[in-house]
Amino acid sequence: MSWELIRDILITTVPLLVIFPSLFAFTTWIERKALARIQNRIGPNKTGVPCTRISLFGLGQPAADGIKMLFKEDIVPKGADRLFHLLAPIVALIPAMLVLCFLPLEFPWAKFVQAPVQAFLLDGAVIFFFAITGLNTLAVFMAGWASRNKYSLLGGMRAIAQMVSYEIPLVLSAVVAVMAAGSLNAAELVESQKTFWFVFTPWGFAAFVIFFIAALAETNRSPFDLPEAESELIAGYFTEYSGFKFALFFLGEYIAMFAISGLAVVLFLGGGHLPFLPLENAWLSSAVFLTKIMGIIAVMIWLRGTLPRLRVDQLMAFAWKFLLPLSILNIFITGASIKLMATSTTYAQPGMFGKLIQDANLPTLALLWLGGIAILYGAAWWLDNLSRPTARPRQYQYAE
Amino acid sequence: MSLLGGGIFKGMAVTLRNFVGSYFNKERLVTNDYAWRPKEDAELPQSAGEYPKEEGEQLSDTTTVTNYSRNFPMLLHDGKDGDTPMDTIRCVACQICERECPPQCIYIEKMYDENGKYIKSPAKFDIDVSVCMSCQICVEVCPFDAIVMNSQFELSTPDRFGGLLLRRDDLLKSNDYYHQIHPEEAAARDQRMADEKAAKEAKKKAAAEAAKKKAAEKAKAEAEAKAKEAEAAQAEGAEEKSEPEGGDSKEATE
Repeated sequence: MSWELIRDILITTVPLLVIFPSLFAFTTWIERKALARIQNRIGPNKTGVPCTRISLFGLGQPAADGIKMLFKEDIVPKGADRLFHLLAPIVALIPAMLVLCFLPLEFPWAKFVQAPVQAFLLDGAVIFFFAITGLNTLAVFMAGWASRNKYSLLGGMRAIAQMVSYEIPLVLSAVVAVMAAGSLNAAELVESQKTFWFVFTPWGFAAFVIFFIAALAETNRSPFDLPEAESELIAGYFTEYSGFKFALFFLGEYIAMFAISGLAVVLFLGGGHLPFLPLENAWLSSAVFLTKIMGIIAVMIWLRGTLPRLRVDQLMAFAWKFLLPLSILNIFITGASIKLMATSTTYAQPGMFGKLIQDANLPTLALLWLGGIAILYGAAWWLDNLSRPTARPRQYQYAE
Repeated sequence: MSLLGGGIFKGMAVTLRNFVGSYFNKERLVTNDYAWRPKEDAELPQSAGEYPKEEGEQLSDTTTVTNYSRNFPMLLHDGKDGDTPMDTIRCVACQICERECPPQCIYIEKMYDENGKYIKSPAKFDIDVSVCMSCQICVEVCPFDAIVMNSQFELSTPDRFGGLLLRRDDLLKSNDYYHQIHPEEAAARDQRMADEKAAKEAKKKAAAEAAKKKAAEKAKAEAEAKAKEAEAAQAEGAEEKSEPEGGDSKEATE
């Protein structure tokens, strides 16, 4: 192994290992502050620089939490499967960290040493992403099973049912962007949205919404946080975890959130480009990319402060009866739209979506946009009505 | 036809309003001390910030919580703050609250003097506030108005077991203190107690009068009865006297 290779590996991976865990710490602080404000509280604001009275809006809180986690006793329950109990948090964290490599983050300093600008260039990046994040389910079940605790096991079962169900609409909505870009490569996906983001098309918007909802469920975020429902299952599959293993789970969960938000940005929100304004500067586009990820995280936090948790049957019905048919319909609409727009042979090679939009004539576009919105909204409305209970309201015999 | 998923946006608007509002409107921050205070209450600092303001500072309970705040029970005595509270303690150790307490956090022992005679006050009255659920049932069932809710909230302690077990002497508070923390409730309670006492006294008086009257009537009746008896006895005596005579005569006739 030549030292250039080692240098390249370090230059491309160390930033990921620095940026995202520190972003995680910052996000926990943001989340606590935002949730507090939503509930008319103040949130952490005392912890700042140690040994001084400087509080810095409580920014020292994540560090204090981390230190606390490190020094806590690591308890493994009696009768637990010690090996898998240890492995589960690691298996939860590693795939989440691994998929960060596929995000088309351009490291500006990489250019100075002629290293690759992206950690891992892969033509099948999107497929690889879903393959790797699928491992997360394994970690959850490992944790639930190895803990020898009924709450953990119930949480694990719920998590698997939920993750398996929501993986399907997640992938099917990602297919839409892949169809439009004509590529599975993350860099080419971004490249084809240089001038026109997919989220600005009706089917792209629908796919983005479905993707976002499924991503919430996939990362166990509220309102789909059933696997770790505090009021029902204590903490779900990581009930029996304490100390740094718990911190690893926590970290893994947030890194998975970053990864899936990053994928959403790549697929629908134009990567490191501003709307209708391509950015060529690597520093700037990386900053824009991270800002977009944090924006999606902020909406996730906002939703967490707003929505109550779903019931298990509602969760399943929503995935199978609403999101799945809608995302399948969306694929057909996408295909039809691209076919109708492609008047010339320009659509032969990947990354030409922006040009396609430019070349298409206005009446066709208007027709496609209005038709797409009407069909998708109508279908969603119809599916919503279908899944509503048809029984008459319950009549009470004795109670008023 | 409402917008699909419109409820989510409505909810998000509400949370956004709270999020933004809490930065501009200090009165929204209800967990801050003084934040709830009305503007005209000039004696108290307005929106003085978070709690505690200084390291190790303890805020006195009477100034920081509302009149409607209630936390854990306390025992009342009628004395002043300086007096020995056990002289005027209202509790008689009847143990009704101990039996009614849903989480069973009250422990009472009765007090006996040297001769083993029950003197109506508790020797022990412990409340484990780590168990207490602040349901106020003990207050509802107490027939002596001896136990009421306190609003003290600074109960954190480094001692996990003993520190959260409040003893009788920790629980004893004067009625004046009760008036300070819950003025309306205390006044209403005092009024009701006074009314009850007055009614009781009136009843007693009436009963005493009735008893007196009855006694008088009884005495009269007794006197009458005695007189009657005496008369009857006299008459009987006469009859008795005559009867044997008759008997004798019968015998004699036989």
